Formats: sequence, structure tokens, C-alpha cells
Amino acid sequence: MAETQENAEQKIFVQNRRGVAGEAWVWFTAMGLTIGVAMVIGLLSLIGFRGLKVFWPQRAVVLQLQSESGSTQTMAGVITKEQEKAGHYEEGSEKQIEWQIFQGNKEVLGLSYKFVDYTDIQKVEYPLNLIRVERLEYGDAFGFPVSLKTPDGGMIDAGDPAFSGELAKAVKQATRVRKEIKTIEKKQIGKINYAIEDKKIKLKGLERKQKAGTAEAEKINAELKDLFARYEILAAKARQLRDQSAGYVLVYKISSGQEKNLPAEKMVDFYFPNQLNRIERFQRFCHRIFHFLADEPREANTEGGVFPAIFGTFVMTVMMSLFVTPFGVMAAIYLREYAKQGVLVQIVRIAVNNLAGVPSIVFGVFGVGFFVYFVGGSIDQLFFADRLPTPTYGTGGILWASLTLALLTVPVVIVASEESLASVPNGMREGSLACGASKWQTIQRVVLPAAAPGILTGFILAMARGASEVAPLMLVGVVKLAPNLPIDNIFPFMHFDRKFMHLGFHIYDLGFQSPDSEAAKPMVFATTLLLISLVVLLNLSAIWIRERLRKKYVVGTF
Amino acid sequence: MNSSLSHKSATATETTGSPSTGMNLNPSRFKTAPLTLWTDRMMNRTIKGGGLAVILTVLAIFVFIFMQSLPLFGRAKIHPRNTIQLDPSIQPLLIGADEWGELPYVLESQGLIHFISSADGKTVSQDDLSKLLEAKISSVFRHRRPGNQTFYTGTEDGRFAAVDLKYIPVFTKDSREIHRELNPGELYALSDKPYPVRLIAGAGTGDQKLIAAILAAPEGNRFVVTRLIRTVALFGPGEESMEEIHDLTGEIEGKIQKILVNGAGDEFVVLNEEGKIFYFVYTDEAPILRQIFTPFKDTQDHQVVSMDYLNGDVTLVLTNASGVNKLYSLFVAEGQPLRMYYYTKTLPPLDGGAEFYAPSLRNKAFLIGHGSSFSLRYGTTATIRAKGRLDSQIKSAILGAKYDRIFLLDSENRLHLYDLTDPHPEAGWQAFMGKVWYEGYSKPDYIWQSTGGTDDFEPKLSFVPLILGTLKGTLYAMMFALPLSLLAALYTSQFARPSFKRTIKPVMEIMASLPSVVLGFLAALWLAPLIEDKVPSFLMAVTLIPLFVLIFGQVYSRLPASVRMHVKPGYEWLLVLPIIAAGIWISWNLGPAIEKIFCTVYDSETNLRSADFRLWWATVTGMPFEQRNSLVVGFMMGFAVIPIIFTIAEDALSNVPKSLTSASLALGASRWQTAIRVVIPTAFPGIFSALMVGLGRAIGETMIVVMATGNTPVMDFNIFSGMRTLSANIAVELPEAPYLGTLYRALFLGATILFMMTFVLNTIAEVIRQKLRTKYRVL
Repeated sequence: MAETQENAEQKIFVQNRRGVAGEAWVWFTAMGLTIGVAMVIGLLSLIGFRGLKVFWPQRAVVLQLQSESGSTQTMAGVITKEQEKAGHYEEGSEKQIEWQIFQGNKEVLGLSYKFVDYTDIQKVEYPLNLIRVERLEYGDAFGFPVSLKTPDGGMIDAGDPAFSGELAKAVKQATRVRKEIKTIEKKQIGKINYAIEDKKIKLKGLERKQKAGTAEAEKINAELKDLFARYEILAAKARQLRDQSAGYVLVYKISSGQEKNLPAEKMVDFYFPNQLNRIERFQRFCHRIFHFLADEPREANTEGGVFPAIFGTFVMTVMMSLFVTPFGVMAAIYLREYAKQGVLVQIVRIAVNNLAGVPSIVFGVFGVGFFVYFVGGSIDQLFFADRLPTPTYGTGGILWASLTLALLTVPVVIVASEESLASVPNGMREGSLACGASKWQTIQRVVLPAAAPGILTGFILAMARGASEVAPLMLVGVVKLAPNLPIDNIFPFMHFDRKFMHLGFHIYDLGFQSPDSEAAKPMVFATTLLLISLVVLLNLSAIWIRERLRKKYVVGTF
Repeated sequence: MNSSLSHKSATATETTGSPSTGMNLNPSRFKTAPLTLWTDRMMNRTIKGGGLAVILTVLAIFVFIFMQSLPLFGRAKIHPRNTIQLDPSIQPLLIGADEWGELPYVLESQGLIHFISSADGKTVSQDDLSKLLEAKISSVFRHRRPGNQTFYTGTEDGRFAAVDLKYIPVFTKDSREIHRELNPGELYALSDKPYPVRLIAGAGTGDQKLIAAILAAPEGNRFVVTRLIRTVALFGPGEESMEEIHDLTGEIEGKIQKILVNGAGDEFVVLNEEGKIFYFVYTDEAPILRQIFTPFKDTQDHQVVSMDYLNGDVTLVLTNASGVNKLYSLFVAEGQPLRMYYYTKTLPPLDGGAEFYAPSLRNKAFLIGHGSSFSLRYGTTATIRAKGRLDSQIKSAILGAKYDRIFLLDSENRLHLYDLTDPHPEAGWQAFMGKVWYEGYSKPDYIWQSTGGTDDFEPKLSFVPLILGTLKGTLYAMMFALPLSLLAALYTSQFARPSFKRTIKPVMEIMASLPSVVLGFLAALWLAPLIEDKVPSFLMAVTLIPLFVLIFGQVYSRLPASVRMHVKPGYEWLLVLPIIAAGIWISWNLGPAIEKIFCTVYDSETNLRSADFRLWWATVTGMPFEQRNSLVVGFMMGFAVIPIIFTIAEDALSNVPKSLTSASLALGASRWQTAIRVVIPTAFPGIFSALMVGLGRAIGETMIVVMATGNTPVMDFNIFSGMRTLSANIAVELPEAPYLGTLYRALFLGATILFMMTFVLNTIAEVIRQKLRTKYRVL
């Protein structure tokens, strides 16, 4: 007996000497958490780094290459990647490094990215006078400036100290003229086009009603004639502006020695990447970010900015919120404050909760079937019969997209609002009722204000989800390039039937439908960074509000 | 703030009462203002109505989606339209109709065609092919295609001609009339002697027509075949000429019963009276006998009563006298070099051998029947779409070109017109879930292929590869995400510092909010190329990291307490970081070496040994290696699934009543023993429910799968190939699907399946969680 006790004691001792039981497994579980956290942080930093790198004005190099055959070649550009050469591992072979160079000058060289064997590189230089020009067409150009031809027939040599200033002035002027032309074409001519389209449809409608040739039709015809005349005047004005702006021409030599002419009106911006100091680099960095956010896309979306996508995302999300908040909150109030708490309500609650877990594509399917084809088709039949067979509402558009997303996010809002209503202490309700307030007054003035932060959290989460969903939008009206914004200066100002651009879809489209996916990559990373920042910011603010709320009403909610 | 608000409302109620002094005890002073009551009532109603409406609307979504897919399972509907009594003197051979079903015709065996208006039953016109061709007609065969039809006519003097019948819609002021146009072709002699043509068959395109005929020669019937070839001309139709006539009498034994020529004009089949079928193919400008087969060999009567082509002319619909209905299709069998006819399907039997047959020109449906009853069947799925019966014998039948009409001619010369509504004949449970033997395939299979390049393509809509793909994606996602998230949840809830939880939860929430389009883009354009040639490294990392951590844990727990005390419990996760980093670094650099040792492939052509996992995998397993594969999808889907499982599991684990864990610890159990023997068993339902919700998320994930796989519907679980999931399938195909077409509805059905899967999983999870909550409350 005593012996066994001793044994047991010994065992405990042994166990202690070996350490606490299962301690190794605790470390194992810690690994799970570490990997998870590392994944998030890694992903965010990857996107942050790659996304911001796009805007950083890197130094440009000139490489002297000598291939195995002995021919030498010069190449200018920016080093974008250094990697091990892909291929088979053969016995005894050394690791081969290659550089990926962004060489621009797409119209001459064909491909803007090229891989260069490290062993072929003879010399790497960073010439100060290397210029990088952002152009309207064919992407960026690298070259050595030769001269600047002025409209009066003069010529400023690249060596001239005034060269850079004159070029900047020329580009600035060209940008201003371009803007003016755009205003005329987009705003004024756009308005007239819209009116012409409208009148033509009216005429068609009259024809359908067999009233062609009546006084009414004559009147419309006369108006049309008038519109065409106005159109001609504006078009002439735009032409005139275009002719005026022609004049300055930049002459530069690309790395192969070829001389090229570039008219200033085809230039967006230029800089000497190797002349910038740190502050200037940072300025240019900010400048490029600004243009990315504010400009319209060019060159099949791979150049320029993403403004229409930001605007589309914003309008869609706001419209969605307008639909989702009142109805979601109303449903939550009903469930929590009005409905008799019983089995049925519990079932409804579970069902609504589960809807938040239903795949978003299912909502997209509903959006197509119900909103686009059924409702939209009926609206077209009733109100836009003259435009048929071209659908107006019977096709994807921003209204249907936001309604679809509203349905998708309504469970999120209901669940969050209900939870926050539930966390309002009953004493507050009872106090209000005891003071003689009616039920609605209690809800309106006591319960809702107390639950507002929680409702707001749900609302923000819904917005974040709405802004980041792409799958359902692909079905209900998002497009790669929308010619017009959903809100503009043409009556009735808000065009809910229009298709729109979306940041998430922009990523999908650029990365997967783009003809030159390598050239599109920087743009995708930049857009991704923007979208991620938006979503993370929304989520963080929701978390912050919830934390504050939690401090206010400490009520267990599991 | 809230109390002041309620106070304000109370005073508001007071002041809206009748103006009174404090002393006045007028009862109206205590009455609530009518406006307040009215507002209250209105708001109550609005919220009750609105709230209910919102909830019902959201639930109705799924009713709508389900309803959209319901018509797929409907049978064909046949409604009688009208009956036309024809002239009893007409001796019909067969009936036909135009594309719109407005101007049907009855053809007599002597070449007389009666065109009848289907609206009022009046005979619009009569055309005599004999007169048109200026020769006495002894045999007629019709070849029907969408758009136009051709009569191949043989004459008493051994000649033949192809007569094109064209219907032309003529638009007048307020109506449309259908006009017919007969264009007789040239007469060609089938033999140098004027033997009458007893039987003729022909078909072909405008450029190439194949004609097979039986000539009644005095020494016995002769079977001849020839082709009409139209040379290609730059302007206008080219010259038509007849090729050499081949006499195939010797090739066929017995009396010929029926000849069929395919629409391309390069094949034909001949049926003899003993039930043998001879299959000929034109090769090198001469017909070659490729196959002889007896379809009803295994039944009592070998004789074939009817033999007809299904639309597309690669399937024969056959019946024998006892009504057995079989299909034989052309395909290249395994190990065979050439396409031949093989048995594919048996349909439900008829009352007797088929006496009339009409194929659809749109799909694989056909109308067949014996006596007075008819049955509309679908070849691909071998199902009966509809059945019907007349009160007299049916002589001839035809299906409208748009598969919207049925014309039946009975023995009393009455033409019965029916409206046919069968928008989705190819659908049904068999087509969606079962193995289907499609035309051209050597065996029944599960295939999803909704569109094809050719006109006679039939959509293949099996959901099985899609469901399997969904499960595949889910499986690989869970294989990665489940262990990680559960470990993380266990650590966070049991071992980490409580204050630390407040930081980790938002991190996980951020992880959950990462847009799936971003994950998909990174998976496809960053991760896939990155690990494409580093698979051994990746696989090594997966095994090495846990191993390293475990070894480290073992070593650490054996260290003297004086060393261990420097690490505060709850900070282990930070210390693990360098170990993980080391594991990654080692496996990254060791991977190529491992690849060199184990995964070398010898290429006999170039005489090179190359160490390439991709080639090795393909050679060893015979399965393809794709850059965008399940491994990549599984990893990236982890970002979407981990936070969901983590959050729910962590909730369940950390809400295990303190009394239980305290008791366990007090009894001397270590924290790990407490976690594994007390906490996990108690919270197990919660973990299970986390798993369910995670599964639901993985099943429905769309963008990652769309972007990071090749979207090929496959039927394997190869980790290095892609898949097509239900959700990706919808995203890819719905934008192109015609409204209310079969594909459109099938995609809605896919959405219904997807919804059911996730809804069931989520409901299970939710119910379990509710129960767990009650359990915790009791404990």
C-alpha cells in the first residue's frame, strides 16, 4: 500500500521532470494562430507593397546587353523583377538569374516587358538625361530627349537649360486644351446626343402609332434639325481647339538609337527618373496616386486612373444602403420589439441568420431572373416600348445591382440590428413606458438611440460586404468600361438604368480579360490596394464603434 | 442621455393634453394626444407590415429561384388545335409542313402535292411533280431540313431528280402569308436502260447530294448509288454534275426494305427484310460497306419494322414487330479505328412495330407510334415526353420545324393539328443527375457542356461533375483551413492571454472581409505562378512546419523550469514565429534538392533527365498538372474559411463555463489536459457547427474558383488540376444563357442546389449552436 503510494508520488515527480503534460501541443496550437495571423498580415503587406510600388517613380536604367551570338544591344527601362530563370534543373548547372525590364515604347518594341539574362548584361547605367514620358497611347516611353520643336518653327535643344521648363509648359497647355475638348465632347455634345436619341425614339413611337407625318412629328423633325446644327457648331469648335493645340513636338531618341517625334498633345506627363531627389520622388509618388484616383482609364483600362470605378462603387453602395437600412432596421425592430417571441419567430430568426451564409451568386441569380428580366422587362414593355428591342431596364444596370446587393446584405443588417436592440436593457424600455410614452415613442426615442451604434456597425459591415462583392454584380450590370457615369449633368441627372464600373470587377477584368496581363498587373495591384483599403477601413470603423458600444452596455451576447 | 430623452417624451405627452392649470382635474388632461396615438398606431402597423414584408421577401427569393427551375421537370403538353377533313380521294404517302406550320401539305405516292391552309383547311394549291418534271413518277422520298425540304423523285424510266420545296414568307400590309415554291432540278438517268425506280432515298446539302435507289430490272432488283456534286463557283451557283453510278446489288443480301441517307450526303444505311442493316460510307468517291449488324438479334423476331434517323443523322431509331424500340448510334468504340453503329438505348416498348415516325428538327425528340396511339420521346434521355391516342389509325405524322406543332394524318384522311409545348425536352432528373449516353460518345457519362460549336450539338447538362467539383474545392479548402483554424481557436480561447483576444478578433474579422475577388486575383496571378515550379517546397513546408513546431515543443517542455519561466504562458505564438519562418526557409531551399532526388523524369527523345515535379506527376499518376489547381484554390480559400470557423469555434470554446475548467485545473490537470479532455468535449457541438458554417462558405465561394481554376468540369480529385464548381458555373454561364431557355433554368436549378446545400448546413449549425447555448446556461 505504502509502496504504491510512493510509486504514484514518483510518477508525479517523473511527470514534473518531463514537464507539464501536453505542453508541446500547446505550442502546436500556437502555430495555427501564428500562421493565420501571418497570412493576414502577409497578404495585406504584399498588396500594400505591390500596390504602392506602382506609383513610386523608380530609377530607370540603360543596359548594355551582349548576347551569346556576340551582338550588342542597348535597352532602357525600369527593373521590375529579379528571378531565377525558369526551366529544368539540370545536373551541375548554375542558378541563372534574369531580370524583368519594363521597357515601354510599345509601338516600337511590341512588348512592354522583357526578360534579360543577368549574364548577358555588360553594363548598367543610370543616365541623368533619360526621360520617361507618359503618353495617351501605347503606354510609357523611355528615351533621350533631343529637342523640342515649337509651333513658331523654332527648336530648343535638349541641352538648353530652358528645355525642361518649356516642355512642361507645352504639356500643361496640351492638357488644358484636352480638358476643354473633353468638356465640349462629353458634356455639351453628350447632352445633344442624348436629346437627339430621345427625339428619334419619340419619332419611332409616333411611327408605331401611325402618326408619322403629323404636325407633332414635323415639330420633332424640326427640333432634330436644330440639334444637328448645334452639334455641328460644337464639333467645329472642338476641331478648332484640336488644331490650335498642335504645335510643340518632342524629339527623342530611344535606346536603339531610333529618333521619334511625339507631339505634346499626345503627352500626359513626363519626368527624368534619375534626376529626382527623395522629396521630388515623393511628390511625384503623390501626384501619380492622385491621378490614379481622379483620372479615367485609358488603353483598355491598363493605363490612366480608376475614377469611374470608384464612382460606380460609391453610387452603387450608397444606393444599396438607402434600400437596405430602413428595411433591415424595420425587420429587426419587428422581430425584436413587436413579434411574439415563440417558436415561429425563432425559426424566422434562424432562417434570416442563415441567409447571411447563402452564397452571393445565388442572390445574383435572383437579381437576373427577377429584377432584370421580370421587373425590368415589364418596365420596358410599359414605359419604354418605343426603344424596344433595345432594353432600357430589361438589362443589367446600377439600380438592379444595388437592389440585388441590398437583398444580399439585408440579413447582415437585420442580424446586427437585432443583436444591438437585444442588448438595450429592458429597464430602459420599461422606464419609458412607465413615464407614459407610447410604444413607438419608446422605440423612437429610447431604444433606437441606444441601439444606434450597433445598427451603424451592421450598416457599415453591409457596406463593406456590398463594396467587395463581385460575383452577383457580374450578372446584374457591371461592365468593363462604362461610357457614362450613372450620375451626370444630363436630365434627369440620375440614370439608374445605366451600367457601371466597379472596383472589384475592375480587378477581375484587368487580371483576366486583359490582352496583355503583364502590362495590366501594376494597375490590378493598385486597384486591389484601393479596394482592400476601403474594405479594411470600413471594417475597422465598424469594429471601433462596436468596441465603444461594448464599453457602454456590457451585456453578454453569446 | 437616454433618460433625458424619455423624460422629454413624457413631458411632450403632458403638454399636448388640453391646456390646464395644475388644479384642474379635468380627465382630458390625462388623455394622450390623438396625434401621439395615431402616430403610434401608424408606426406599429408600418413596422409590423414592413418587417414582415422584408422577411417574407427575403425568403421568397428562394421560392422564385426554385420556381424558375421547376418547368425543367414538366412533361410535354399537347393541345388539339383543329382537325381538317381532306378530300377522301387523296391517297396520302406522307405529310409535311412549313417552318411556321401554316401551310402543310399531303404528298401522294404519284407525286401529287396538296397544299392546305392550316387555318381554314382549304386546299390552297395542288402541284404535280410528274407534270413539273415531265416524267412519270414511280417513287418519292422526302428529305427535310430546317428551312427547306427536297423531294427525291424516281421515274418510271429510270431517272431521278431532286425537287426543292421552299416556303417564302411574304409580308403584306398587315399580315404574313406563306408562299411555296417548287424548283425542279435536272433529271439524271440512273442506268442506261429505262428501268423503273422502285425505291429512292436521298439527302445532302446544296453542294453534295447522295442518292440511293432500287431499279426494277428484269433480271432482278438493282441497287444503285450515286452523288450529285455542285462545283464551287465564285458567282452564283456552280455547275451540278452526277458522279459515277455504283451498283451495290451484290453487297446486300435479301430484299431491301428501307434506305436512309444522312444529311451530309456521305453515308447511308440499308435495311433488308431479314432485319440486317448495312452501313456504307463514301470514301475516296466510292461507297464502302463498313458494317453489317442485326439490331434485334437477341429478340425473337429479327425483322426490323421501322428504321429512321434521329435529328443529326448519327442515331437510328429502330422498332421490331413486337414494338421494342431501340437506338443505335455511331461512335468510335475503344480500340476501334472507325465510327460504327452500336447499341445505345432501349426505350419503353410500343404496342407494335412503328407505323409512322417524325423526328424533331431542333433536338433529339421524335414522334413514333403504332395504330392509333402516338408517343413523343426523347432520344438522349430515353424518356417519353408525351402520349396520345386518336380514334382511328394514324397514317403519317410530322413535328413542326420549331418543335411547336404536331400534325397527324389518320386513315380517314383527317389532318389533326396539335400545339406542342415542350420547352425543355432534354431536361429531367435523368439528364441532370444520371449517366447519359450522348451521341458520339462510346459510353454513358456525366458531362457538363452547355454549348458547342456545331448546329447538331446537343447540350449536356449533368450536374454531377459540378457537384463533384464543388466538393473537391471544398475538400481541399477544408483540408487546409480546418486544422489551422481549430488550432488557432483552441489556442486563442484556452492558452492565449485574455487581453490578446481583443486584438486577434478584429484581425480575423479583417481576414473575413477580404474581398474574394482579391483573393482570386492573388491566387491566380501571384500564388499560382509562384508555387508552380516550387510544389516540392510547398509540400515540404506543409509537413516540416508542424513537425518543427512539435519537436520544438517537446524539447521546450523538457527544459528546466528556470529556462521555461522566461516565456510567459500566452506568448507562445510569438515565439513560434521564428520556427515557422525557419521551416519555410528550409523547405523553400530544400525543395529543389528533393525534387532532384525523387522527381526526375527521363526524356528518351532528348536524352535528358530533368527534375521537374510537374512532368513527374503527369508521368507517374497519368493525371494532368495545371498551373491553376486545387492546391492554390484550397490555400486561398483558406483566407475566406479560416476566420469563419475560427470565430464560431473560438466563441464556443471560450464560453465553456469557467466552473468546469477551474475544477479540472484544480484537480491537477495541465492546461492542455483541461483543454483536450474538458473544454473540447463540452464545446464539441460548437466546433461541429463551426465546421458546418465553414463548409457552407467554401461551397458557395465563387470568385476565387472562377479566377484560380481553369473552370473545366472534371470528375476527379486530382489535387493538381482545377475543377468547376456550381457557383463558378453560374457566374461563367448565366450572362450568356438565353432567357427562359433550358440552360437558363438549369442554372437556376444549380442555384437552388447551391442554396439548399448551404442552407441545410447553416441550419444544422445554427440549431446545434442554439442547443449548446442552452447547455451552457444549464451548466
